[in-house]
Amino acid sequence: MEGLPHDDSVSMPSVPKLDENSPLRTMMASFDEAAELLGLGQQEYLVLRKPDREISIAVPVRLDDGSFRVFDGYRVQHNMGLGPFLGPVRLAADLELEELRALAAWMTWKCAVLGLPFGGAAGGIAVDRNQLSRGELERVVRRWTASLLGDIGGDRDVLAPEFANEQDIMAWALDTVSMHERSTANPAVTGKPEALGGSAGYSDAVAEGLRVILRLAAARQGYDPANLSVLIQGAGTVGGNLARILHAEGHRVVGLSDVHAALYAPDGLDVPELLAHRAASGHLPRSFAGARAVDPAEFLELPCQVLAPCAVANAITGRNAERIQAGLVLEGAHGPTTPAADTVLARRGIPVIPDILVNGGNVIVSYFEWVQNRTGFKWLEEVVDQRLRRMLREAWEAVLEVEQTHGCSLRMAANVLALKRVADADRVRGIYA
Amino acid sequence: MSNGSAGEDAHHSPDGTPPSKAWLDEINPFLSMEKGFNTAADLLQIQGGVRDVLRMPDRELTVNVPVLMRDGSVRVFTGYRVQHNTLRGPAKGGIRFAPDVNLQEVRALAAWMTWKCSVVNVPFGGGKGGVICDVREMNTLELERLTRAYTVAILDILGPDRDVPAPDMNTNEQTMAWIMDTYSMHARRTTTAVVTGKPLNIGGSKGRSEATGRGVTISANEALKMAGLRPEDSRVVVQGAGNVGGLGALLMHREGYRVVSISDMYGFLYNPKGLDMPAVRAHQRAHGNRLEGFAGGDYQGTQEGARVEQLELECEVLVPAAAGEQITSRNAEQIRARVIVEGANGPTTGIASDILDARGIIVVPDILANAGGVTVSYFEWVQDRMGYFWTEEIVNSRLEQVMVQSFAAVRATAEKYGVSLRTGAYILAIDRVASVYRMRGFSA
Repeated sequence: MEGLPHDDSVSMPSVPKLDENSPLRTMMASFDEAAELLGLGQQEYLVLRKPDREISIAVPVRLDDGSFRVFDGYRVQHNMGLGPFLGPVRLAADLELEELRALAAWMTWKCAVLGLPFGGAAGGIAVDRNQLSRGELERVVRRWTASLLGDIGGDRDVLAPEFANEQDIMAWALDTVSMHERSTANPAVTGKPEALGGSAGYSDAVAEGLRVILRLAAARQGYDPANLSVLIQGAGTVGGNLARILHAEGHRVVGLSDVHAALYAPDGLDVPELLAHRAASGHLPRSFAGARAVDPAEFLELPCQVLAPCAVANAITGRNAERIQAGLVLEGAHGPTTPAADTVLARRGIPVIPDILVNGGNVIVSYFEWVQNRTGFKWLEEVVDQRLRRMLREAWEAVLEVEQTHGCSLRMAANVLALKRVADADRVRGIYA
Repeated sequence: MSNGSAGEDAHHSPDGTPPSKAWLDEINPFLSMEKGFNTAADLLQIQGGVRDVLRMPDRELTVNVPVLMRDGSVRVFTGYRVQHNTLRGPAKGGIRFAPDVNLQEVRALAAWMTWKCSVVNVPFGGGKGGVICDVREMNTLELERLTRAYTVAILDILGPDRDVPAPDMNTNEQTMAWIMDTYSMHARRTTTAVVTGKPLNIGGSKGRSEATGRGVTISANEALKMAGLRPEDSRVVVQGAGNVGGLGALLMHREGYRVVSISDMYGFLYNPKGLDMPAVRAHQRAHGNRLEGFAGGDYQGTQEGARVEQLELECEVLVPAAAGEQITSRNAEQIRARVIVEGANGPTTGIASDILDARGIIVVPDILANAGGVTVSYFEWVQDRMGYFWTEEIVNSRLEQVMVQSFAAVRATAEKYGVSLRTGAYILAIDRVASVYRMRGFSA
């Protein structure tokens, strides 16, 4: 139309193109090797290297002072061959589409390894929640949800929390979907409060999953599965809960650390006392009776049977991998071992139980929550635990089978298994239209 | 659940003269079905409009779908979907691809599904679909395009709560995966429960491919109790060595039966001491699925009348699990079994049924004996609806429970009315549908 000026300043925010250095590309690099091992055709594999769909939305919100701001919101849906999408909602000031692409693909592989009928998704809002009032945060979450109503739902794309303590956010999302649909839409959102259809066992799910795989892996290693010495980095929802569960079972938690302190006791720490201290003060004590305070930089290198990095990415690197004294590494955190460290640990014969297999307990319980919501029947905590154990054992056995077939690392075996399951589903479904 | 087409030899008189009208009527499976229905409806004193409600299909849809062929031409294929009755739940029934598909046949098979679902008390009505095509002339891409085009054409009447198709003649897991994908993409939501018989990785059920054979075995166990026999004392003759007959024979062997004969379309094996069924199955796998050449039994190739001869072998249990119209007025007098378990659809003609009844041979009718398949289809639908999948042990134990209960209900009905198990099964099935009709009434 004549007279409409072309003005770049009011155009939509630009969507970054996929480039070779993006987090998605880096993550997928390890799957290129898996695809080669599988002999997956170039065309089949290329489909999996791109997300099915990416949605960018503007999220305008009225602030308490009467002004309004527009936040950037996203949802990336990676692959739906195995079923509806499932993935977290991430709230972070520096959130970028790139990282969500990688996370969405990661969710596809994780669901596939664990045998869940879901594809992967990831979404979020670029917002610093500490600068918002609770009311403002609620409006942000509701508007983001409302903008995605055509794309989410129990059979389309299921929302999950990034952290177990985000029940209020999930409750707002569920309420928004339900009010729009004029019916209770429980299966559309997981990680909800139990009063709104949440599942028993959700808050401990990651730690519980770690414990289950640890038992299987320790038995395979020839350790006495009833008396292990375990060094845990991280004392929060994952590491702290794992320490509590293992201590209660009679294992020795020989080391525990957080950003504030690192403690070591070869005969085992008094975990309940330590966690009580942390609950009261917000961090572990710098000194503690019967334990030795150690340099956090050397913490991972202390003697133990099992090392469980449950805090940050890239904890075990090419620099410290040679000095690790553990016989087994259990990846409670996301990506705690760098590829260089992987190589060193493999050469030294120290098995690494990969994150994709071992830290998805929360994803499994999200799945259980979805099942319970679909049937309208709530499972007892024992039932949740029993079924969680069964699914993890089946995933573990399937990964071991691939490991033996291909003679590769457990991480590569898990990647191969994931890729194969997704590619098989895509193949039988074929290409629509 | 493929209804084996009538064996070629069944259509012609042994001496080559043109078949008589009476013979053609006898081997018409739909007339047999009608006969079962009429006998039962008379005993239930269902007459007039209600009888018509139960007889006539709710809905028949004919579609003509264009498909782009590999040479660039466009061909229009004709397909059907018939929903016979949906009083007890969504319609359920297979989709077949065959050159001789016709509305008359699809209609009858849909009705058959209504009674079968009712006998085993799964919450479905009956449906059936088909497309006139010759799969041998089509490549995979053409079959995929045809499947998707047909699915789109009947999409409005499909759905987990409306009509749930399944595999049938010349359709398989792959066909069901295409239907599931087409429906899901149209609905813009994953809808696994719209079709059953899917591959395991997109919502299929464990134990489904063996379900019909397993159901046949369970039916045989129950029938033996009626006859006062034990598996250890029972010789079995099985016609058909595929998914139903072969697997049924293997399971019966495991339960202690002595399987003395099994046949495929080329001939049959016989060993009066009993065949080693696991070895027979292994032989089949290694020899292009054929029985010929198996060392642990005498093999006789199919010549004129060979099939009939196998059916007349002395045994306690006869399992016709291959094709329709195998036991007819021509051989029913020569059958030397105490119990017949109908693994195939319609292996016994109406006249042969009367003869067998008069001779006191217990016949477990097809709508009960081979309903294991639709029962596990039902389990698949349940699992898809909740999104949670059962272990194979759970599937098998629930199948056993359904089959045993259904057998007991059929037997009790037959005893109450003083009729055969076949008539008892029809009475039970029709009465269940009729009582739902009385409760639901007319919607408008």
